[in-house]
Amino acid sequence: MKSYFLSDQNLSAFVEGLMSKYPVIAPVAKRSRFVFEKLVDASELRLDYDTTILPPKKVFFPAKQDLIHFDQHGFTCCIDPTEQVLLGAHPHDIKGIAMSDIFYSDRHCDNNYMANRKATTIIGSSVQNHYKHAFFGTMNAERPLTGHDLFMTAIEGGFAVDVVTERGEALLPLGTFEPATEAQVAAAVEVNRKAEEDCPEKLNGTAEEIREKVRTSFKSPVWEAFAEKCFSCGSCNIVCCTCYCFDVQDEWNVDGVSGSRFRLWDACLTREFSEVTSPGGSENFREERGERYRHRFMRKAAYLNEQLGGPACTGCGRCSGACTANIANPTTVINKLLEQ
Amino acid sequence: MAKVKCAWFDFTCCEGCQIELTNFGEPFVDLLEHIEPVEFREAMSEKTTGPIDVAFIEGSFSREADRRRLEQIRERAAVVVAYGSCATSGGVNALKNHTNDYTEEVYGADAKRPHLDSQKALPVSAAIKVDYNIPGCPIDKAEFIRVVEQLVHGTAKVYIPSYPVCVECKRRETVCRYDDGDHCLGPIALAGCGAPCPADGIPCEACRGMVKEPNEAAMELVLKENGNLPERWAKDKSRMFTANIRGDA
Repeated sequence: MKSYFLSDQNLSAFVEGLMSKYPVIAPVAKRSRFVFEKLVDASELRLDYDTTILPPKKVFFPAKQDLIHFDQHGFTCCIDPTEQVLLGAHPHDIKGIAMSDIFYSDRHCDNNYMANRKATTIIGSSVQNHYKHAFFGTMNAERPLTGHDLFMTAIEGGFAVDVVTERGEALLPLGTFEPATEAQVAAAVEVNRKAEEDCPEKLNGTAEEIREKVRTSFKSPVWEAFAEKCFSCGSCNIVCCTCYCFDVQDEWNVDGVSGSRFRLWDACLTREFSEVTSPGGSENFREERGERYRHRFMRKAAYLNEQLGGPACTGCGRCSGACTANIANPTTVINKLLEQ
Repeated sequence: MAKVKCAWFDFTCCEGCQIELTNFGEPFVDLLEHIEPVEFREAMSEKTTGPIDVAFIEGSFSREADRRRLEQIRERAAVVVAYGSCATSGGVNALKNHTNDYTEEVYGADAKRPHLDSQKALPVSAAIKVDYNIPGCPIDKAEFIRVVEQLVHGTAKVYIPSYPVCVECKRRETVCRYDDGDHCLGPIALAGCGAPCPADGIPCEACRGMVKEPNEAAMELVLKENGNLPERWAKDKSRMFTANIRGDA
């Protein structure tokens, strides 16, 4: 793998170079938090961010995505990808994107997601500050890091930049890079190792242990105990980098003949997610709050674990932070199950 | 196609939802190609006594004397839509259902005058059959247009979300009020508004009412522990718009 060095002084010129050719979506500050947003000015870039409110999957799969526009004559498809750069994705978020890629292409290819995904060049960046709930050092840490094109690690005086794909390499002429020294390459490896080690929260157990334990805990009283405080608000779902469910709706214009069909991120914690109409009313597959609460853990830690060869979780900690009732934290729940 | 005759009526309320309608601008003008307003106190002086296709009723039912007027509207309207929280749940008016009656102290000798005579503030549905409810204080313009569009074109029943405001805040990536050291009723508040208040840094007051099976006990706990509200405030916080909806209604 080729490695280069980008000095701190040359960072903004590189970002401006990227911005001159592509929309660049990168972490920027929003009040007390950070969000991925299209850069308007290179100085907004905050590679020192801890985490963003929403994961970068929104770049390919926005929270509301038009699928078709229709009128009395027919419909037009809304797939219209723009070549863009996603800059500053943390390693665990890149793993989340790689998992989403599997969900949206395995068995059925979701073109609305894939078109945007293929049009996006991803430049990863090392974790400089930890989100208080991060546990990526003990969740899928062994999972290979793939799906990105370049990776920047903050080291003394600048960044060690690993070239992962040709597509990533093609961006290098937009900045001033010099070959990285062996010491710089070694420093980058150490920075990324230490970022995993320094995670504030830790999960016990291997992927297999977690899968077995969660599956066999279906009837455990643990779910009900945590769910007592659950709002079924779906915040843990919406901020998750591996949640992929959506709801499709049609919206008609006032003329009554034209409109659009769109999809919205959905959340299995909410009551209406598992509700279906039935003759004379409705039925709910997961009537109880505890059942819905358990379902998320079953999906992530057991069912999808089988498909992915590891939990559908990256240890980003967003769900833990988004849960006002403080019951969504996977390390708390899974560690408790593992103890039993 | 003949235009759909629509009339607007107000009961115990501030008429703010009517004002909100007049603030619509273009979407409402577009709507006028399909509907014909025949009574609308905030925007026209004409009155009507004949049959109407859709009656939009704003305000709560808080005076027995209003029952007859509501029944008359029901009799001549093919469809009745209660819009705005006062009409759909009693709204802020329902706060009176949980306080002492201070009429004597405030009005003294005038306390018995007929216009001060009022009962519990109740939703319009407590007096007459309501076909559709559009909650909110005030109503959400986009949602109103969506419902009216459905009524005008006779399509399927309109979809109004049953999940809480948190979903909409997260979808638009609003910084959680609790992350800003504030409090919020978002976890139990009914969504559909698009969560504009928290996006402006204002806590959700659940003006649209509550989700089905709201976890009120957890809300009280979170308001205390995360929102730093004193015990009594945490207990009463959600009552502003949900006095008739809460478990202790």
